[in-house]
Amino acid sequence: MPILTDAEKTKLVRIMNDHIPHTASLGIELHSVVGEELTFKMPYRKELVGDAEAGTFHGGALTVLLDHTLGMSTVCGDSMLPSVTPTLDLRIDHLGIAPPRVDIYATAKVYKATRKLIFVEGVAYYDSKDNPIARATGSWVRVADVDLTWMLGAVQQ
Amino acid sequence: MTLADVIHQAPSADTLKLWLTKVPYACYLGIRAELHNNEILFILPKDKKLIGNPSLPALHGGVVGAFMEQAAAFHLIAKMEQPSLPKIINFSLDYLRPARLRDTYASCKLTRQGRFIANVSVTSWQEHIDKPNAIARAHFLIPEIKQQEK
Repeated sequence: MPILTDAEKTKLVRIMNDHIPHTASLGIELHSVVGEELTFKMPYRKELVGDAEAGTFHGGALTVLLDHTLGMSTVCGDSMLPSVTPTLDLRIDHLGIAPPRVDIYATAKVYKATRKLIFVEGVAYYDSKDNPIARATGSWVRVADVDLTWMLGAVQQ
Repeated sequence: MTLADVIHQAPSADTLKLWLTKVPYACYLGIRAELHNNEILFILPKDKKLIGNPSLPALHGGVVGAFMEQAAAFHLIAKMEQPSLPKIINFSLDYLRPARLRDTYASCKLTRQGRFIANVSVTSWQEHIDKPNAIARAHFLIPEIKQQEK
């Protein structure tokens, strides 16, 4: 049985996301939580462009979106309580370029969790996640048994 | 003039500044570059909008990655004999320490440049280069130089 329902995960991810100045400034917003799979949306903005002529996203903006999505997906893993998890490493393969002026999505999921480590994979895409423009894998460290579900209670009151 | 037009100018403090103005996302992050003894120092000035962890506070890890990726690309262009716009293939980032809310620096090394592929390593730090916040390796695809440009 999952520790948290999709609705609780959604609430927790939204609370955490809303307190991060950088993702707020980029307009990165929660799209969906389905089981262990988390999806964020990064709306097209001209400040996020890398190639001014082509109007396409900067690779670094994808790095932010993927780092954020993979990192937040650690909250959605069903085998452990959500905790404080700094990033150990992240690798991104750039598989293609999205057309100009489209919104980008990133979906991620924990594929293995141990007592100390969480391994995550994810993709970034614009039309279908079966046709990703980037693929990422990374590992996160569980530094402390800080159960973040207290945030849910703090909001409910 | 586009970025592709201005990369042919020899790298100097002024041309690096010009290159950065051509990349909207680099402008948004506020990235600057300086030349010290012919080596490029990239700077990500302290900015509250870059915070990823407000309780420390620390910069968003993804921003540090984005900064390092941009540094790697411009370092490569600056070292190319025939500059062209490289395409990122992949990027591998190791986080070593949280980046605090202060100026962040990056320097790069062109580890290997072949005909089609370049390997650039990047170190990012805040207080001292010997205490890096993150290290990264980027692979770039180098577009073939067209015949008439040779």
